[in-house]
Amino acid sequence: MTTPKTHGIIAEFDSVDAIIAAANQVREAGYTKWDCHTPFPVHGLDDAMAIKQTKLPWLVLVMGISGCLGGMFLQWWTNAYDYVYIISGKPAWSLPANIPVMFEMTILFSALTAFFSMWIINNLPKWYNPLFHAASFTKVTDDRFVLAIESRDPLYGEATRGLLQSAGALAMEEVNPPEDDGLMPSKLKGWLGVVFSLMLLPPVMIASSMYSNSSEPRVHLVPDMDSQMSFGEQEASSFFADGRSMRAPIAGTYAQEDDHLLGEKPGYYTGKEDGAYLTALPVEVTQELMARGQERFGIYCGVCHGMGGKGDGAVSRRAQKLEMATWVQPADLHTDLVKVQPPGQIFETMTNGIRTMPGYARQIPVQDRWAIVLYLQALQRASAGE
Amino acid sequence: MTSSANIYPADDASAVASRASRIGLLVGVVGLAAAWFLGSAEDDHMRHFWMSYLVAFFLLVTFTMGGMFFVLIQHITGAKWSVTVRRQAEFIMGAVPFVGLLAIPFLIPLFSHDGVEHGGLLWSWVYPHGEHQALIEGKVGFLNREFFVGRLVFYFVIWSIIARYFKKNSLAQDADGDEARTVAMRKRSAVCIIIFALSISFAGFDLIMSTDPAWFSTIFGVYIFAGCVISIHALLTLSSMFLQRKGHLKGMVTVEHYHDLGKMMMAFTIFWAYIAFSQYFLYWYANMPEETAWYLRRIGDEWGYLSWFQLFGHFVIPFLGILSRHVKRNRKLLCFWAVYMLTVQAIDLYWLVAPNLYPEGSPFSMVEVCTFTGMLGLFVFAVYRQATKHSILAHRDPLMDQCLAFKNF
Repeated sequence: MTTPKTHGIIAEFDSVDAIIAAANQVREAGYTKWDCHTPFPVHGLDDAMAIKQTKLPWLVLVMGISGCLGGMFLQWWTNAYDYVYIISGKPAWSLPANIPVMFEMTILFSALTAFFSMWIINNLPKWYNPLFHAASFTKVTDDRFVLAIESRDPLYGEATRGLLQSAGALAMEEVNPPEDDGLMPSKLKGWLGVVFSLMLLPPVMIASSMYSNSSEPRVHLVPDMDSQMSFGEQEASSFFADGRSMRAPIAGTYAQEDDHLLGEKPGYYTGKEDGAYLTALPVEVTQELMARGQERFGIYCGVCHGMGGKGDGAVSRRAQKLEMATWVQPADLHTDLVKVQPPGQIFETMTNGIRTMPGYARQIPVQDRWAIVLYLQALQRASAGE
Repeated sequence: MTSSANIYPADDASAVASRASRIGLLVGVVGLAAAWFLGSAEDDHMRHFWMSYLVAFFLLVTFTMGGMFFVLIQHITGAKWSVTVRRQAEFIMGAVPFVGLLAIPFLIPLFSHDGVEHGGLLWSWVYPHGEHQALIEGKVGFLNREFFVGRLVFYFVIWSIIARYFKKNSLAQDADGDEARTVAMRKRSAVCIIIFALSISFAGFDLIMSTDPAWFSTIFGVYIFAGCVISIHALLTLSSMFLQRKGHLKGMVTVEHYHDLGKMMMAFTIFWAYIAFSQYFLYWYANMPEETAWYLRRIGDEWGYLSWFQLFGHFVIPFLGILSRHVKRNRKLLCFWAVYMLTVQAIDLYWLVAPNLYPEGSPFSMVEVCTFTGMLGLFVFAVYRQATKHSILAHRDPLMDQCLAFKNF
């Protein structure tokens, strides 16, 4: 019997026909743990060895479908469920827009599955194939066809040699790999250790800079994105004849989504009727409108005027702390000066701006501006204890 | 220089071919006559007949152009797997002058004074009218009858020249086995495939896309091309199966070749879906009135069911159906899918044209059935007529050995 460390036996043949005939004999003898190695693909060898059709396509199919559905789920979750974001006016969940990603995910999952499953099915990666220890195995890249039977085959024994002999083997060699065969080489272990330690450096550097302060100005990796050369609001420009960088809309333009509001009460868009400020809101006062006004006030007004409207917003406090000479304190909205203003005047101020405060017509839709007026008036009364 | 691959005999299928071509001619003449008769009974100045004639005619164009693409691409790539079926593709491509003759009747809808209220019998740029009149009149420099006829003549002349060159050389190789012919054809095919790509695109623009002259799509030619390639692989599958049933091509077209034909058929079904979706996707996203009008006409109640059929019947179902290698290696199943894909190709062309002329809904009737049957009969005639005189196998092609040795792993 063989010693336990014997990997198996290899037999050499010198032609395609010989190896196919030998493969037929070995298969018929009932061996299961064996393989053929040839210098080039040999037609008919698969049949002679009775190699089964691979299961790889099924893995690829299942993973391809998973990728497709996963891609769909990803987009549904991110864009239609968790954080609804309208793009190009399409519904948040619109299938045509999602198909490219679904397609790519199908391909990605299929390709990765095919690639890595192929490795796993072929027992890769492997440090070293024991057959490389056989001296005659090198000829397989030249002009020899090699058939190898492994010792772990239940039929492996003295009879194996005889079988291969009768199959017409030109030469045979027992493969006896050394004790440490198949283990990771110790040199490689050392180098991998070095690489992994180096890989830890970037996260350590990132972590250290996250929790430390620096007086250096920040590094601009992409300066032209951080400070773009775009025109600011109301900035002058020599490009256009009228010297303005902002383009006025064509006369008669109105926003499409406000179509239905054209029949609104007079002064809805201007806050004025016949040159006089509106003294009452031109919109229906509801609890929803009040809530909306509170929310919008917090978003657009509170940063300067303060959440309570006392002119002490975060921006203002910051500017004072930095002692900015040009900073004009935002108005306290609870002074009599403001309180006497009719709703139409507050609306107009919001729309067109006043002193250093810019107009907010562009950011805040008309209906929301009235909601803010409503909320502000409620705020003023609450503050005065009314 | 002579070839060593001289051991395969010619395959003379003249008996089968002459019978098939005679039946084809009979079906063709009777079918088109019946369609003409039914069409003239409809009291619409034959508008319905001409519409179905255009679609059925263009179906033959995609068949023959598929054949041309097949021959050219096999030569360019030096393909070995396809040698035993290439002669049939050469015959299909060789039908192109005959298909060109079938274009002559288009002079009637082009120059007729009927159907002015629709802008003409087929192409509404003949008499621009309606809300897009000014737009269409702006295209008159390209879309006018004289230039249109000139372009059609040009396409068919250039296609006939290409088809003749490759068929002639391949047939001559049957006689002399000269390998230099294969080398020469490979060089020429590279130039010809560029001519093919441009001419089939513009033929698609002219004949099909201009049925809605206000609409435009730059990918339209590629869309037509996808249909050509699906069709040729289905046709070669069916034709080989037919000839083998009649005792020809024995052992020459094996399960390996059918497997490859099936693979290409499926691959280009995916390609078609890719192109069709690319066109739809951009128009859907941009949502520009002049681009979406074409699709709006097809997604309403009048035509919507056919558009859904395009999605599922032209892609999803055949994709899943032909995906497995077992299907492609099974004669009966592959035969079914080849017939299916040709049917779908006809429906696809109908979907491209009919909603433009009949936005109010499908006029489908026996007229279409007769026109399609007749045109397919004439196609069978034009293709198999060539097989009565020549071998159906390019038996002295130098790559013959490798074609027969080839196996799918």
